[in-house]
Amino acid sequence: MRFKKANLMYYVFSFMGGLLILFILLPLARSILAQSPAILIEEAGDKGVQEAIFNSIFLAAVTATIAALFGVPLAYILARVRFFGKSLIESIVDLPLAIPHTVAGILLLFVFGRYGMVGALFERFFSLRFVGTRLGIVVAMLFVSLPFMVNSAREGFESVDVRMEQVARTLGATPSEVFRRVSLPLAIRGVLTGWVLTWARAISEFGAVIILAYYPMTAPVKVYDVYSQLDLKHSSAVSVLLLVFCLAGFVIFRLLAYGGMGMGNKK
Amino acid sequence: MIEIENLDIDLEEFKLRDINLSINKGEVFVILGPSGAGKTVLLETIAGFFPPKNGSIILDGNFANDLPPEKRNIGFIYQDYVLFPHLTVKDNILFGVRYRNIDGIEKKFEEIVKIFNIENILHRKPCTLSGGEQQRVSLARALIMEPRLLLFDEPLSSLDKKVRENLREELRIILKRMNQTSLFVTHDQTEALVIADRIAIMRDGKIIQVGKPDEIFNSPVNEFVADFVGVETVLEGKVISRIDGLVVADVNGFKIEALADVPVGEKILMAIRPENVTVSISKEKKRSSARNNFNARVKKLTPLGAVVKVIFDCGFPLIALVTKQSAEDLGLKKGREVLISFKATAVHVIKQ
Repeated sequence: MRFKKANLMYYVFSFMGGLLILFILLPLARSILAQSPAILIEEAGDKGVQEAIFNSIFLAAVTATIAALFGVPLAYILARVRFFGKSLIESIVDLPLAIPHTVAGILLLFVFGRYGMVGALFERFFSLRFVGTRLGIVVAMLFVSLPFMVNSAREGFESVDVRMEQVARTLGATPSEVFRRVSLPLAIRGVLTGWVLTWARAISEFGAVIILAYYPMTAPVKVYDVYSQLDLKHSSAVSVLLLVFCLAGFVIFRLLAYGGMGMGNKK
Repeated sequence: MIEIENLDIDLEEFKLRDINLSINKGEVFVILGPSGAGKTVLLETIAGFFPPKNGSIILDGNFANDLPPEKRNIGFIYQDYVLFPHLTVKDNILFGVRYRNIDGIEKKFEEIVKIFNIENILHRKPCTLSGGEQQRVSLARALIMEPRLLLFDEPLSSLDKKVRENLREELRIILKRMNQTSLFVTHDQTEALVIADRIAIMRDGKIIQVGKPDEIFNSPVNEFVADFVGVETVLEGKVISRIDGLVVADVNGFKIEALADVPVGEKILMAIRPENVTVSISKEKKRSSARNNFNARVKKLTPLGAVVKVIFDCGFPLIALVTKQSAEDLGLKKGREVLISFKATAVHVIKQ
């Protein structure tokens, strides 16, 4: 509904919500306005900073894509099939949300470290290492962000009327054709939203990444690195640079997925 | 030919037991029953969405219990049409054609588009269509596949009254013209009457009676069927003359006049709502605008609160509703002879 009749409750709720929005925007605005242009330009020209920002954005995109590749099938199963132990599987998917990120990093180290099960296997057969590599960054990002992909895609599939799929079957489509021509196109917003959330979450990951791979640096690690090596001014400049890229990406995807940021969905 | 033999279905709260049906090629078969009878579950089982617990589904002589829906060639029309919202009307209709070899598909497409009068909406998305338009598109999408059986799950109940009444007669004409074998479920007696070649009455997961519409309406096997098909009189007759839209039909040697455009010699069903029947005690055929006047004898009286349902025998069965007051004033009791009359405009003619 839209605001029409003045009602005290709506004013109170709007005021409280407004405070929350301000809480998000104020630090953003403050840090952008506080920048000294000279330092901003200096940091923007820094090779290490550029590389860190590229790492963050690119590796997060790789992470989100891997999450989609494996998460979409799982999401479809969870949305469509009733089976024993389903709620256990759903809880497991949500588990990374409940694990502190440094702890997640330590856990991953046990499996993906040089002597971990998977880590040793990859080193032996593919000569690939996870610790201190981009691969490790992706693993850390994936672990903490995949719940967003699975849950969002599942909600997308759940919103598709089962009868839509049934009708497609009666028209001769096999289950995989139904998925390709009906379920996926109709759930695409859920999948895209999942991709964006996963991507955004992956960019922001610090704890798990820094344990698996301090180098090559991602932007959040670089912010921390500059903060501890230099000062707040320089690290906030790096922050703002990363922020600009993140916001731009976020806005582009919202436009693609929802076609705008205007009135929102009417309910 | 579709045969359902001794079918048992268990699905959540629905238990269907010992369902036996056989639907002939080109026949429009209606399952009529109150909601909760399990009608939709039966359709979904025939379509192949759920496996039956026992019994067999035989399609054109082949055992089909294990066949997946996409191999059955059975169409499904839902109450709310379930068009694909991301596809245009045209793409909706052509959704399935790539999966089946259909002779002369382009000609067939044009033909179907013409039948349903949807040339102008082919490039629109379903969300921009009215209920009636969506209904026609969903029919076109199903019929272009030349299904061996078309299932209808209360396809008219979400339309408003006027559209519904037009569409149901149109629907029967189209199904008969295309010789489309159909199974139709509804809870609406009139709808069943207008559309069906044969009707099965279903209640609590069981088939109670199967028969032609006039058999079901005039010889219900038990109280439930009698109650459920309600109080409408349904007569089968043959048109013996036609003048200016007024036809005279012969029913057991009695002549009934009705408004219809049906050629002489055709068989018709005539439905007369009980509130349109007038009862008087005068033996003289009184002068009024009612074209149909018959001497009748009271066969049975059933009090229904403020009104009384009276079944008359006037050479054919006829049901009337009168107020309790009138029934007393007229001294209606079993065996009493009265005069009953109804207008030609009160006779709803259904072409066979």
